[in-house]
Amino acid sequence: MKVGFIGLGVMGRPMALHLAQAGHALHVWARRPHSTVGLPAQVHATPAALGAACDVVFTMVTSSADVQAVVLGEEGLVQGLAADSIVVDCSTIAPDVARAIAAQLAGKGIHMLDAPVSGGVQGAEAATLAIMVGGEAAILARVQPLLEKLGQRIVHVGAAGAGQVAKACNQMIMVAAIEAVAEAMHLARAAGVDVGKVRTALAGGSAASRVLDVMGQRMVERNFAAGIEARLHHKDFGLLLAAARQSGVVVPLAASVGQQLNTLMGAGWGKEDTASLLRVLEGA
Amino acid sequence: MGGAVGELRVCLPRSEVGRVLTGNFSVEGGCMRIGFVGLGIMGRPMALNLLRAGHTVTVWARRPESVAPLQAAGAAVAASLPELATGQALVISMVADAPDVAEVMRALAPQALPGLVAVDMSTIAPAAARAIHAELAESGIDFVDAPVSGGEPGAIAGTLSIMAGGSETAFARALPAFQCMGGNIVHVGGPGAGQVAKAANQVVTGMGVVAVAEAVNFAQKNGVDAAKVREALLGGFAASKILENHGQRMIERNFKPGFKSWMHEKDLNIVLQTAHELHVGLPGTAVAAQLFSAAVAQGLGEDDSVAVLRVLEQLAGGVQ
Repeated sequence: MKVGFIGLGVMGRPMALHLAQAGHALHVWARRPHSTVGLPAQVHATPAALGAACDVVFTMVTSSADVQAVVLGEEGLVQGLAADSIVVDCSTIAPDVARAIAAQLAGKGIHMLDAPVSGGVQGAEAATLAIMVGGEAAILARVQPLLEKLGQRIVHVGAAGAGQVAKACNQMIMVAAIEAVAEAMHLARAAGVDVGKVRTALAGGSAASRVLDVMGQRMVERNFAAGIEARLHHKDFGLLLAAARQSGVVVPLAASVGQQLNTLMGAGWGKEDTASLLRVLEGA
Repeated sequence: MGGAVGELRVCLPRSEVGRVLTGNFSVEGGCMRIGFVGLGIMGRPMALNLLRAGHTVTVWARRPESVAPLQAAGAAVAASLPELATGQALVISMVADAPDVAEVMRALAPQALPGLVAVDMSTIAPAAARAIHAELAESGIDFVDAPVSGGEPGAIAGTLSIMAGGSETAFARALPAFQCMGGNIVHVGGPGAGQVAKAANQVVTGMGVVAVAEAVNFAQKNGVDAAKVREALLGGFAASKILENHGQRMIERNFKPGFKSWMHEKDLNIVLQTAHELHVGLPGTAVAAQLFSAAVAQGLGEDDSVAVLRVLEQLAGGVQ
């Protein structure tokens, strides 16, 4: 298949490479041309030109506005894509924006799946991402072989936007868990107990989790280099708290965690790992 | 109303009405032509106070029935927003949200006299207020963001707290009108500063209402008379206007607005959005906002914000 990829950052680049290594003809476009250096791909001058050359285009960018610009902008994909082609958006954006973009593309006979991922850079490099998909089942079936090159757990959650809703739920649980681990580590240290031992002890019991494992280890080592840049979680919490408010859903814990993320950003740790939530508590 | 030749007419701040005036003052001193948009719970008594002080007031409202009480009190009624702007020295808006303010101000601009001062007394995001300042400046209109605190009783009594943001000159032009509507009037700073002060006000009142509601619920659940608790607390460091007013309404189970729950929810979300953008943690506000969101979700949005007591009661398994 002729596969396009836009968004060649720390997540997108390894994902694009997996698709090329699987034997697909890879087409790319990037805002900053140096992002495409070293990729076995044909480089295009605009998203529209890339769209004209592809059957399926993946996008992996930062914000709702970025996706809108890349897909629907003046030189956007929509200007080049043929009818019956497919856009797979792996970015984390607002569910209502995902639905609106899908509806606009449908007007031109172009299909769209929202397919946000979880698993971080590690998961992208190892092709073990969790992928949560919103859109039509028949369209998912057509790109399933491609998604299988990127991740292990691919779940069709529901109609357009459903993937983004699942991703919002993922972020709520994950970052709240990071905060919980940070508070536990903070308590252990304040009580003069070895935090590494606490983490090891907890890993065998009911508090065991991937977050305790990975983020807990970073906190023990005081290694705050990103993993996942905290600014992205901060962005996601803005989205999910707005979505909760729109739906009339009460999310007291997520609301508190959102405030801890604000404080983290204010301290200037946005480009470091979300394990920095520990440092927010230590500063308090 | 005035305007006839030979009639002595002086517009006065509310605090001066009824006092015997001595000394020099100019005929028609301080009287202004004022347009007023937004005649809801707050706007109606505010506009009435301007009329009573002797200003020439023209009103406009989306729903014609809203203008009737003002017309009866002597206000002129404009058929459209552009007509409302015609010939005014000052235009005041008191509407629901930022898009409404922007819409009103845009409609006024083409008919505005040079030097018109536009005053918005609604509660909107500081960033939205700054954007309106900038947009109106291009049309030569001086804008003041001047949100209020004090609720319906304050609006009726003309004792509102008014917190203003904008230039010194615009504030000075609007001050005589402010003095007819409010008691504590503070020029906080430049564009948007009034809304920042109002945001801070909503943080204090939002958490205050929740704190009083939790105390009332706690007393009730302990089988203690909440009215007596309120009375006792009013003598100490927990004494506050909110304990006094909101506490009383909670005890009377009077949920009639007042200040509606959905509006307090909206205001707190303006604060939290700003906090998100500025990277400031407001943990207490976030929790209070969740409780107001719950009130709205439970269908209590049109009730007074003291309805947050009902949310807490439900969390505690209902009223006994």
